Amino acid sequence: MLTLFRTLFAPPRDIILLVAALWIGLALAEKRSERHGVSKDALNNLTFYSLFGFLIGGRILFALTNYSAFAESPLNIFSLNIDLFDTASGFLVAALVGFAYGKKLNLPFWGALDALTPILAFLAIGLHLSHLAAGTAFGAPTNLPWGIELWNATRHPTQIYELIAALIIFGIIWFRKSLFTPGIVFLEFVALTAGARLFLEAFRGDSVLVFGEFRLAQIIAWAILCVVFFFLSEYSTNHSSRSDLRLQ
Amino acid sequence: MYALILLLGLVWIYLSADENAASFAGTPAAPQRNFLAPDFSLPTTDGETMRLSDFRGQAVLVNLWATWCPPCRAEMPAIEKVYNEYKDEGFVVLAIDMTYQDKLSSVPPFVQEHELTFPILLDETGETARAYQLRSLPSSFFIDRNGIIREVVIGGPMAEALLRTRVEEILK
Repeated sequence: MLTLFRTLFAPPRDIILLVAALWIGLALAEKRSERHGVSKDALNNLTFYSLFGFLIGGRILFALTNYSAFAESPLNIFSLNIDLFDTASGFLVAALVGFAYGKKLNLPFWGALDALTPILAFLAIGLHLSHLAAGTAFGAPTNLPWGIELWNATRHPTQIYELIAALIIFGIIWFRKSLFTPGIVFLEFVALTAGARLFLEAFRGDSVLVFGEFRLAQIIAWAILCVVFFFLSEYSTNHSSRSDLRLQ
Repeated sequence: MYALILLLGLVWIYLSADENAASFAGTPAAPQRNFLAPDFSLPTTDGETMRLSDFRGQAVLVNLWATWCPPCRAEMPAIEKVYNEYKDEGFVVLAIDMTYQDKLSSVPPFVQEHELTFPILLDETGETARAYQLRSLPSSFFIDRNGIIREVVIGGPMAEALLRTRVEEILK
């Protein structure tokens, strides 16, 4: 089963999983967006402009940071190679484009983030499926009976651990009852995702280390948890008077 | 509650700290980033035999291709161009034709047509394809001077700019 899945979605076909996740996430998010004060059209435009920003920003900033490689073949900036891309820059530009568009439409800040959360949650599911297909984000060697054969060793199926966590997080976000406080859905999603990463990173076999032995992803996830908990505690103390910010 | 979760998080970070967590030393060779590249010994179109480990100390691009594969054909001129730009700095291309699923007679005309000057190796049994867990053509493995795979590009054609960024990385 796993072998069939990995063969069907072997890179570069694993990108199909991300596109499908975006499509499903957007379809689900549309159903709830108006509850958060964001129309379906605004949500669609916000998503597509951000996606456009992600693709263009990631490529342009990659080209700028690798200027010498493009100097002789500048038309390569239009290449279909997805490897000519800086993902972190892409996310930064996507966030800026999304913010600018939200400001233009005077969208509620936290409401817009809540409306986008199902898309993010489903993208996380797609991302872990794509990792499973590509064999990336792999686990440390293990003797546990549920270990999977990957890269010539029996390893923790970290892609499956993270997939299960993402499915549970999506379930919590999607089926939660109280939606009255703007921003709670988004903040809970971020907290749960950071918590899952903090826990599951311990089983990864490809961690980036800092200070000799500590896993960078865990430290970042812990710092994100601190920020989210700060906001959540602020919300619980000011619950009665809380209203959303308008991007203007 | 939040403080307790954060405290437990710190304890978990401490407990799961492992200086060997990112070390691939002693692990079997595998066709994945940061692993030792699987070794192979294959005949070339010139009748020589080449072994990957003989190129330790040089930056190597192992490119798995076939003559019937359109993106493989499309990326060959870029590989040839970049090979000529960087070969004096210690860059080597080992282009392995998947002969077990290709026509051996198609290889020399292909090499001539594209005026390829780097070695063309022939995988007649599929052993190297299996060692590199080939799932899509073309597949390219950028291997540094220590024999470690630094980047894997599956699919193509690779643009010249992509080749240059990857080659400069493995030449460092």
